[in-house]
Amino acid sequence: MDANKELKFESPSFSKRLKGMLGVDFYRLFHTPMFYIFLAIAAIIPAMVSAMTMMPDQNGNTMEPLYSNVWQIIAASEPLYVINTIADYANMNMVFIFGGIMVSIFIGHDYRSGYVKQLFTTHAKKQDYMMSKSIVCAFAMMCMCITYLLGGVAGGVLAGYSLEVNASSLVIAILGKIIMSIGWASLYTFLNVILRRYFGVSIAASFFFGTGILIIGVAAVVENLSLPASFLNIFLYGSSVNACLVSNIGTLFVCIVVSVAWAVIYNVLGTKILSKSDVY
Amino acid sequence: MNAVEIRNLSKNFGSKQAVCGLNMTVPMGAIYGFIGENGSGKSTTEKMICGLIPTGGGSIKLYGKDYTDGDVRAKVGVLIEAPGCFKGLSVWDNMMLQATNLNIPDAEKEVVKVLKMVRMEGAAGNKFKNCSLGMKQRVGIAMALLGNPTLLVLDEPLNGLDADGMRIMREVFTDIVKDGKRSIVVSSHLLGELQKVATHYGIIRHGKMIKEMTADELDTSCRTYVAIQTADMNRAKSLLGCKYSRVEEDEAGYIRVYDMTTPEEIVAYLYENGICVTEIMTDKIGLEEYYIDLMKEGN
Repeated sequence: MDANKELKFESPSFSKRLKGMLGVDFYRLFHTPMFYIFLAIAAIIPAMVSAMTMMPDQNGNTMEPLYSNVWQIIAASEPLYVINTIADYANMNMVFIFGGIMVSIFIGHDYRSGYVKQLFTTHAKKQDYMMSKSIVCAFAMMCMCITYLLGGVAGGVLAGYSLEVNASSLVIAILGKIIMSIGWASLYTFLNVILRRYFGVSIAASFFFGTGILIIGVAAVVENLSLPASFLNIFLYGSSVNACLVSNIGTLFVCIVVSVAWAVIYNVLGTKILSKSDVY
Repeated sequence: MNAVEIRNLSKNFGSKQAVCGLNMTVPMGAIYGFIGENGSGKSTTEKMICGLIPTGGGSIKLYGKDYTDGDVRAKVGVLIEAPGCFKGLSVWDNMMLQATNLNIPDAEKEVVKVLKMVRMEGAAGNKFKNCSLGMKQRVGIAMALLGNPTLLVLDEPLNGLDADGMRIMREVFTDIVKDGKRSIVVSSHLLGELQKVATHYGIIRHGKMIKEMTADELDTSCRTYVAIQTADMNRAKSLLGCKYSRVEEDEAGYIRVYDMTTPEEIVAYLYENGICVTEIMTDKIGLEEYYIDLMKEGN
């Protein structure tokens, strides 16, 4: 019995636990090629899109440019919840599609390697995991937004597009989209927690949500109910689209509120699901 | 206070009952050999102890506290199925990441210590994906040992280890529990190896604990037998079969007589019948045979 008394059980505080997990996740992020590959993809895609729109067709005629302005590669001219052309679609929001796939791979490794078994044995609190993944994946997406910006501008300039823009709206649009990474990263973390046993399905689900296909259905409902289109801003995709080249400070505020709110919702739901389900 | 105390534990996967009213007691300082057939519920029970699967009913207490308690869980080391390493990183990096996760203050020193314990200090720089199966198992055990855990839950840790690796593991296990405070729950199908270190046993079948005993109790329960070799094995077996109730031929080619008898009596009996005994010895059945007998009884 004397031996029993000597045993001390105390778990680290929340801040220490989160710090430890973040340390591991950031180390993994920076020490695996995947992150750099996705950064490169985020830079190359906009450059390719803008350059390709200036290439001559089979008959040697120059194609009609998709954009009139470099910054349209970064954000749409106006909030286009339902897109009509590829140009409406091909802007920084595409980062949230690549980002979703990256999150699926990142979290997929946790499960396939057995890392989560080690982790959840010693860390009883599942919210630490949700928070750590959301933060690290949001950071990765923010970095991808920046490389997208660089690639898009470089491609646009090389393609000869105009640089004329309302600077404040542009900055707000870029900041808004970067901030939306928090909400998107939480959504993808949540999706991957639900679909942890099915790696392929989790990638497909991330792609599906990232493309914003669901918003088309919601937009139809909003129209039928005669609600203003800005109602769609309560969704991640809606707010991401809303951060465009006519943004104002209100847009940034909406982005912050929507992104943080969904991040909290997805983290709470993910924590509950993790707590009540088996770890494979 | 016991290290693990499980009462009436149950777990269903859909309509399949994986664990059913299981009771289990792992005393402090014990190396608890957890034995059972494939699909008997060992891994499910171990996962429930580690909090990886919610229980379907019953209670699990670790060192007197509920198994969901964060304080006690922080002191559980685990190796279940995979070591939890990232294959693209080195052994050292993987260990350091786990140390970071566990908030170990002097991480480098601790990692060096546990790598030495499992004799992996020379391979710390190897990428995990380049390690052999045995090395991966050792790294997995080293990971479980980080943070000075009070309870280790190891699922088939001896798989893939060579003879030297198994000896090292036996030494490591014995070393861990020598202070009488730490305990190990270890499941393995290598019963001969398990018998060399285990102080307690739990035998599970169809999700139920059918036997729990100490190593001493096992020793007492294991029947003695007389093993013989003769010039005419077939005739000797036939003759002995007529006189004794249980006579079997083992894998090594010896005839075993399990009844309460003496070597002298058998030699005399065979000699009277014109058979010369060339070799004779008395021995006890091991854990493996005890387990097989127990399973046969169940059938």
